Amino acid sequence: MRHLLVAASIIAFASAANGAAPPKLTQAQHDAAHAMFEHVISTPTVIGRHNVPAMAQYVADQFKAGGFPDADIHVMPYHTESATTGADETAGLIVRWRAAGTPKAKPIMLMGHMDVVEAKREDSTTDPFVMTERDGYYYGRGSIDMKDGIVAITQAMINLKAAGFKPKRDIVVLFTGDEETNGLGAKHGASDWLDLLGHPEYGLNADGGGGNFNVDGSPAGFTMQTAEKTFASYTLTVRNRGGHSSKPRKDNAIYSLAHALDKIEAYRFQPMLNETSRAHFAAREQLVTGPLKDAIHRWLANPNDGEAADFIEADENEVGLTRTRCVPTRLFAGHADNALPQLATAMINCRIFPGVDPNAIRTELEHVVADPTVVVTRNDDYVASIASPLRPDVTAAYTNAVHALHPRMPVFPEMSTGASDGRPFRVSGIPVYGVNGGWTITPIDNRAHGKDERLPVQSLYDNVVHWQLMLRDLAGK
Amino acid sequence: MKRVLAFALAAAASTTALAATDPRDVPTQLSKEWQVKTREVFKQAIEIPSVHNRGQTQKVAELLASQFRAAGIPDSDIHFMPYEALPGDNTTALIVRWRSPHPTKKPMLILGHMDVVEANRADWTFDPFVFREENGYFLGRGTSDMKNGDVATTMAAVKLISQGFKPNRDIVFFYSGDEETRGIGATLGSTKWRNLTDAEFGLNADGGGASYDRNFRPLGFGISMAEKTFQTYFFTTHNPGGHSSRPRPENAIYELADALKALQAHRFTPMQNEITRGYFEERSRQEGDSPLGQQIRAWLANPNDGAAADAIEANPLEVGLTRTRCVATMLKGGHADNALPQSATATVNCRIFPGVQPKDVQAELQALAGPKVEVTPDPLYIGVPTPASPVRADVVNAVKAAAMRFHGKDMHVFPVMSTGASDGSFFRAQGIPVYDVDGSWGISPDDERAHGLDERIPVRAMYDDVLHWEMIFKALAG
Repeated sequence: MRHLLVAASIIAFASAANGAAPPKLTQAQHDAAHAMFEHVISTPTVIGRHNVPAMAQYVADQFKAGGFPDADIHVMPYHTESATTGADETAGLIVRWRAAGTPKAKPIMLMGHMDVVEAKREDSTTDPFVMTERDGYYYGRGSIDMKDGIVAITQAMINLKAAGFKPKRDIVVLFTGDEETNGLGAKHGASDWLDLLGHPEYGLNADGGGGNFNVDGSPAGFTMQTAEKTFASYTLTVRNRGGHSSKPRKDNAIYSLAHALDKIEAYRFQPMLNETSRAHFAAREQLVTGPLKDAIHRWLANPNDGEAADFIEADENEVGLTRTRCVPTRLFAGHADNALPQLATAMINCRIFPGVDPNAIRTELEHVVADPTVVVTRNDDYVASIASPLRPDVTAAYTNAVHALHPRMPVFPEMSTGASDGRPFRVSGIPVYGVNGGWTITPIDNRAHGKDERLPVQSLYDNVVHWQLMLRDLAGK
Repeated sequence: MKRVLAFALAAAASTTALAATDPRDVPTQLSKEWQVKTREVFKQAIEIPSVHNRGQTQKVAELLASQFRAAGIPDSDIHFMPYEALPGDNTTALIVRWRSPHPTKKPMLILGHMDVVEANRADWTFDPFVFREENGYFLGRGTSDMKNGDVATTMAAVKLISQGFKPNRDIVFFYSGDEETRGIGATLGSTKWRNLTDAEFGLNADGGGASYDRNFRPLGFGISMAEKTFQTYFFTTHNPGGHSSRPRPENAIYELADALKALQAHRFTPMQNEITRGYFEERSRQEGDSPLGQQIRAWLANPNDGAAADAIEANPLEVGLTRTRCVATMLKGGHADNALPQSATATVNCRIFPGVQPKDVQAELQALAGPKVEVTPDPLYIGVPTPASPVRADVVNAVKAAAMRFHGKDMHVFPVMSTGASDGSFFRAQGIPVYDVDGSWGISPDDERAHGLDERIPVRAMYDDVLHWEMIFKALAG
């Protein structure tokens, strides 16, 4: 689940680049990244299609070919399932690059997920599971969420090893196979796979962070993800005795559901500010102009100015940052075209502002719908994620890597509106930082989970270099 | 697709609270010899699971054809017509011509279908494809929809032939093999095979019939002479979608919900035709001075009294009889729990008033749904508008005489408009009027099990139906 640009406080506005030119990929390294990206994009790792184990094996084979010993490469098959997402036999991948000599510290964990959200051929311009290059973009499901990060981490490690780099502490890779659905891979990682992972000191997640440019080419900033909104899903259920469709009745499960959805569409949760988002908006105020700048200014001056908060929330770049948001994502009703529906359901996906209990949101939705025939239930038992404390070493390494490739790029910490594999680690005391180095054009490339997902071609290769810089910095000292 | 007899008609029917007799206990008038013959053919028919895709319908056709052949109909007048219904479902129709030695009128067409709706052994209390007789009922899939009608029409003809009856017009029997799914047989029968089926009018055994309430009071015998056109439409919305953590103002599900609310509030223009006026006249007599009775009289007196029509339509007994109705029956939207929906679709099932064009209904739906919603007809089933068949005195009188013989004078006969659709619609659309006049009957609502579980028919209703059709043939072809 992807990082979305949004930051909490300015870590560093552009300092002039530190002089050294960033490393360049050789043609062979470039081609290897391209070939790997094309292969993994063309592997439809959607839940229920049973393709994740094959992708895990493919990625494992890349590490083996890069000289990593078999004994330190583990494909970890596991089952994933829930009532709402369906089931699959999926797999994780663990690769351990051992330190030369006695490790100076506990391992650094590099994180990503190999699965992708469903994409239907008929909803897409070109086959989402055939990587297509056009107009300076790579198109395909997973191109930004987040097979680019899988390729960047893998190729960076292979390139560093080939260059003779010897880490001073273990680097351990955890790629999961069900982040988009049930997150069981991350749960394994934070529990029964923890010995294999060497009890890492912290995680660096490629499924977070990253940067944006505006459409006019100006920098919109890179972010380091340190916190995330709480992900929780709910189901609205309406039951009815049904009947023959030639004799419609007044009470109809579909119509009741439509009225409930209409109320949810109109409803706005209470705007909220916390220390993180306050710092974020303080930074944003400096970067934007016009009415948005005014609204941010007014809201920061008066947190009770709901009108200003609403204006900010309505901006495409700020969606989800001022409050809890809930939106219907799936519908299902009926059993035959000539029968009145006996059941109608809608899935409501919520991203809950930190500190708010998901059970309280269920009650709030019930009040919003205000119809006793519409039953609101939770689909999961998720609890709030814990923000990871800022570490100077990680912050510096990320900022330096970003500036090596993008001088004068603003860098912010981020409260992600999405949820990620980081949560079970954060909850169990292992901080996680979303520090990917990919970039896109905002808002036109904000297509994670959507139609015609795409990644600027150059971003893929920049990201390989980015991870090389990060690892040299954090594991080389 | 079975008629719901006259059941919907008259839950509140006639008030004459006579100490009524249980009609199931009245002895059948069919002779013992013909009871045995009828039962044997019915048993064989029920035990052939002629469900779509099972390739069994041919066997029902052979069973019926063998009865005609044994009675002396030459092979040259017995036609097996194989065709494909649903993709890959190879089925067959049966066409039999009982020739008149000296025809004085155009032929008469008898309609039925040999296929049945799927029945799941696990859902039933017994095997739906094992014929049973228990407590005055025959049980099994197809006992009321409508192998009873296939057997009654066939056996009535066989019996009359054996008695030396010579019709004064050809009587053509047309039994289709996919009425419950796509109606391709009736489509072909009314067009491509017209040289074999052309007729002055048709009598459909897949409709009509009498009913009694639980106190054994007669509720009436409805002759279906018109039916609404069945057409399903899809309401579809599209959106680029995106990540559900960043909701956008435009949302495929919200746009669809708005259209569904508009659909819920929409009422099509009230309409009457000769058939529904006849029906409501009978209902007005039954209802007397009840509020419904007064509303019906007001509407009959002034067809532009929309308020009266709306009040009638809102009554659970009369739903669907005053106008076109459309209702949302299915929803599907989105592709992942954590992604904004890229498309959402509602299935909207319409029953269109006879004579109204489905494309006009589509335009009306499109107007109410708005420009963000795409309204398209289901490409797998394009409904053909059917004109109401004109009331024919000879048909009505023949049915009245039969109803009087088997049910007495309190069983009123009147026209009805079916809200469902059957094979008859295809023939009506091609200019052959069709009347649903089967003579079987049941107790309402306990015996209304067509398409449902533990389908059944009173034993006497099956046997008397042979005599009912014998009377109909004699009256209209003698």
